Amino acid sequence: MKFRRDAPCILIGSVVLIIAALSFFSNRLFSGLTGAVEEKQFNLIETILTSNLEAAQDKALARAEILARTPEIQASLAARDRAKLLADCAPMFAVQHEKYGMDQCQFHIPPAISFLRLHSPNKFGDDLSVFRPMVASVNQDHITRKGLVIAATGPAIFGVAPVPNPSGEGYAGSVDVGLDFGALLDALKASYQLDLALFAEEDPLKKFSPDLAASAATEDNRRGKLIKLHSTQWDLMKSLVGDADLKTGETRFYIRKAFGSTYGVVLLPLRNPAGEPFGVLAAAQDFSASRAASGRSIVLQILLAIFAIVLLAGAILVVLRGYITRPLQMLNERFATLAGGGDPTPVETSEPWCDEVRDLAETYEKLRTRATREHP
Amino acid sequence: MNPRILIAFLALFLLTFLKAGAEVPRDMTTLPLSGGLPVQVRTGLYFIDVESYQEHDGTFAATVDLRLKWKDGRLAYDLKTAPSGFVEFRDDKALAKLAEQWAPLVELSNSVGDPVFQNQLLRVYPDGQVEWLRRVKGQFRSEVAPENFPFDHQQLAVHLTVRNENERRVTLDFRQDDLDFSGVESTVNIPGWKLGLVNISRSPIAGFYGESNARLIAALGISRALGPGLGPIFIPLMASLLIPLMAVYMNKVQDGEFQIEAFELSNIVIGGLFAVIALNFTVNSDYPALGAGDNAVSRLFGLNYLVLAAALAVIVLLFRFNIVGKYCGKYVQEQLYLYIVWAAPVLVFATAAAIVLIAAS
Repeated sequence: MKFRRDAPCILIGSVVLIIAALSFFSNRLFSGLTGAVEEKQFNLIETILTSNLEAAQDKALARAEILARTPEIQASLAARDRAKLLADCAPMFAVQHEKYGMDQCQFHIPPAISFLRLHSPNKFGDDLSVFRPMVASVNQDHITRKGLVIAATGPAIFGVAPVPNPSGEGYAGSVDVGLDFGALLDALKASYQLDLALFAEEDPLKKFSPDLAASAATEDNRRGKLIKLHSTQWDLMKSLVGDADLKTGETRFYIRKAFGSTYGVVLLPLRNPAGEPFGVLAAAQDFSASRAASGRSIVLQILLAIFAIVLLAGAILVVLRGYITRPLQMLNERFATLAGGGDPTPVETSEPWCDEVRDLAETYEKLRTRATREHP
Repeated sequence: MNPRILIAFLALFLLTFLKAGAEVPRDMTTLPLSGGLPVQVRTGLYFIDVESYQEHDGTFAATVDLRLKWKDGRLAYDLKTAPSGFVEFRDDKALAKLAEQWAPLVELSNSVGDPVFQNQLLRVYPDGQVEWLRRVKGQFRSEVAPENFPFDHQQLAVHLTVRNENERRVTLDFRQDDLDFSGVESTVNIPGWKLGLVNISRSPIAGFYGESNARLIAALGISRALGPGLGPIFIPLMASLLIPLMAVYMNKVQDGEFQIEAFELSNIVIGGLFAVIALNFTVNSDYPALGAGDNAVSRLFGLNYLVLAAALAVIVLLFRFNIVGKYCGKYVQEQLYLYIVWAAPVLVFATAAAIVLIAAS
């Protein structure tokens, strides 16, 4: 074993191992913190989406209930007076449609026959029980319902309320109000700077909204069995959401890069009142800030580790070699000269040696003085 | 007075009054309130061209189409009078028509000077829907964010501000249709930059007495294309780090004693200092934004000055005055010097790499 080489190697190796381990654990800790912040952000986005969908359903139902409790409307529906019902409600629908995103408003008579569509007054008399089971249920048990449904105009947020007879006895029919998803997504974009995309399954769209399905089903809009119907920034969203991402039926969070930034993406499955998934709502938010902070912390931790290793290695090398091995090497050379009968060189005892080396240096000086005296 | 004359006089007065009342023209320049307050002006902005981006003074020259849409029920007319589905006015006629009706006073509030030209297109639909398209070519000021230079993203923003009405009376809004309209022409090319997406966000500004005025910011995101253009900044910055390291490395140690005069080595460091100062001036004059804030370049300059100072300290304290040798012995001094020779470059270039990586993160 060569102390001059092996001792520093062992010490520096130990330093490297300890600092690398500490850096690794500290990095895990920071990554965990960043992950926790992003997890919270994902949960917040999910809460924003679900609470706004819930609020929109409440709004739809509230409007349906207002209509259902209006005596003139009750009387017109009970009398099956379509013209009067249209005259009573058309101005209201025009304002609601233009300003508040009311996409559809429809009156039905039991069991689930369309009586009047305010958004399409010339189309009526068709049976809705197959593709609007919520309407059939309300007409059966006279209990209000709300939910997300694919209707003739596409996916919408519905509230359905039973309409009692004006006399208070018996039952006249029901009314539903459908709010447009697009208006909701645009409002979310404006309020929260989220970018969103609404995807719906192509098969139910073809079945219940054939016109919409035909216009929307382009190759650019197709993602597996889903079709994009609405997006606040399609160029971005199509880079972030692929076929495979949409296959899962559960809420999903993931992080992906697009256009030079890192985005957090939330995929929220949309289910009809029967609990069957019919689409996905995708929301993306720029996570560049948290990712950059995480990247910075990794770089700084590595840099600090390098500094720590180099500085500690310096301390080890300078102390071991400067105080011990280098003076020993020098003394060793002089002892060797002395032992070999050569001309011994004096040692500068004024040097600030450490005590152990000083003792050795003084011993050498004594030997050298004696040798010089005996063999001048 | 004779009652008959009095009655005739009153009747004449009443008739005159009613006639005058009937002839009073409707003031169409007031806010269209039929839809309630605030009046929603739907807004979209399309970048037709970006002629130049002057990074040094944070401006860009662009041609943009600003589309404003609102509804004024007073302008509704019979569909039969407009077979095309709308009535259209262009340029001077559009301006004349706009002078007769209410229109939102939306200012491009970050424009620099007057626009080079403006074209107008006004369409009025039978239901009172108004669509006003303005093509504006001008210079716009856009804040430069150099923190992540040279891996930076910038926003070429156009600020659309309503000046004469507060947000409770007139608001700027956007829907899917406006977001679809807002984009950038595929032929746009800004040398040295890659185009991103156009984003619209609300950012109200303060009005009178705590009110706020509506403002939308339509911004085209661009990211710097890394290329040979960055060489003239980063190569000298990295090379200048070698000067103080060389000054320390040039010395020689023999049996714990330094062999080269400290004076000669300190000259190298002083020369390096002037080189870094000159480089700093050059970069600051070419890229003023880099000199103003905290970024990779300013940090690398800081590192350069720090290493120069450290080298000077080593030369003066270690080589000239042998401080370590006096207090710890010449062999400790020798070992410290041998350590500095390899440790200093490792630490300096690790720090420089970290600065660049932090900018890239």
